[in-house]
Amino acid sequence: MKVTDIVQKLGLTVFSGHEGLGREVTGGYSSDLLSDVMGHAGAGAAWVTIQTHRNVMAIASLRDLSAVVITNGEAPADDTMAQSNEEGIPILGTTLSTFELSGRLYSLMMKK
Amino acid sequence: MKPYRADLHIHSLLSPCASLDMSPAEIIRHAVARGFDMIAVSDHNTTLHCELAVALGLEAGITVLRAAEVTSAEEVHSLVILPDGEATASFQEWLEQHYTFVPHDPKIFGEQLVIDRDENIIAEISHYLPAALTATLDEVEAAAHRLGALFIPAHIDRPSFSITSQLGFIPEDLYIDAIEVVGATPDLLYPVIRNSDAHIPEHIGRRFTSYMLGQPSFSELAMALRGEAGRDIIKSG
Repeated sequence: MKVTDIVQKLGLTVFSGHEGLGREVTGGYSSDLLSDVMGHAGAGAAWVTIQTHRNVMAIASLRDLSAVVITNGEAPADDTMAQSNEEGIPILGTTLSTFELSGRLYSLMMKK
Repeated sequence: MKPYRADLHIHSLLSPCASLDMSPAEIIRHAVARGFDMIAVSDHNTTLHCELAVALGLEAGITVLRAAEVTSAEEVHSLVILPDGEATASFQEWLEQHYTFVPHDPKIFGEQLVIDRDENIIAEISHYLPAALTATLDEVEAAAHRLGALFIPAHIDRPSFSITSQLGFIPEDLYIDAIEVVGATPDLLYPVIRNSDAHIPEHIGRRFTSYMLGQPSFSELAMALRGEAGRDIIKSG
């Protein structure tokens, strides 16, 4: 499943990093502690979080994540989006909470 | 110039997590008894006990700096140490503009009381003070520096509410004056200080930093963090 598929199926907003919409989503990880994500998120995971700081993109790149999904209707900071464009890792958005979005993403990924 | 001992992270009873015997007068009594030259009263997202503490410190012959431990939107704690009363009043106003007003339950979190010099309760804060502000860490830093304050990410080596836990690492372009640590000195190029983060009288001064200063004051401390004119951090423990 590609990033563009989860965008369509979950009705997500694409904030930035459009170049990376063809990335393969191989799993998910939900956490707001960047130190935790740094240590535990697997490559290819879509990361679900409410954090919008620019360090989010540094860690997404470090862990080779497929996309970042920002929940609760929050928007990423400008420098976070700039970094996302540079890295080609999309930042997506939803008004759903982390719990709801993670549940839907999990069901979607288990279907195939 | 000579060494001065300082503990710049102490909570008064206004912080819900601090014990009720942490009145400004009691904090000062313990700090003086333990040979401290300078302290800062740094409650969660509020400076409302600073002026009382400064006045009592003056009488007791110990320098008290005005400060707050600020919780950013990312839930990073930082010490903001303010230069004077005017900057503190402005910073208090800024804090109040960025509260999220999470309702406070004193039964769960503890009382949030403002007292006067006779230790009468003059106010009780009804929203949970340590809750994250709407301001990001960058915005906290900007607000602090706009007022000439020192901006010091707190307990950066703790697994919660630290810049390291919340943001993974210290953003290179963040303008910080020093970092506060609890444990071993990290391999980082920032000035490192240690403070007690006391919430009970027994903990005042359990960690501290000695500075080489002309006198214990905000401006001399700022010079020491920059390593200017012979002012310096000489020891922390």
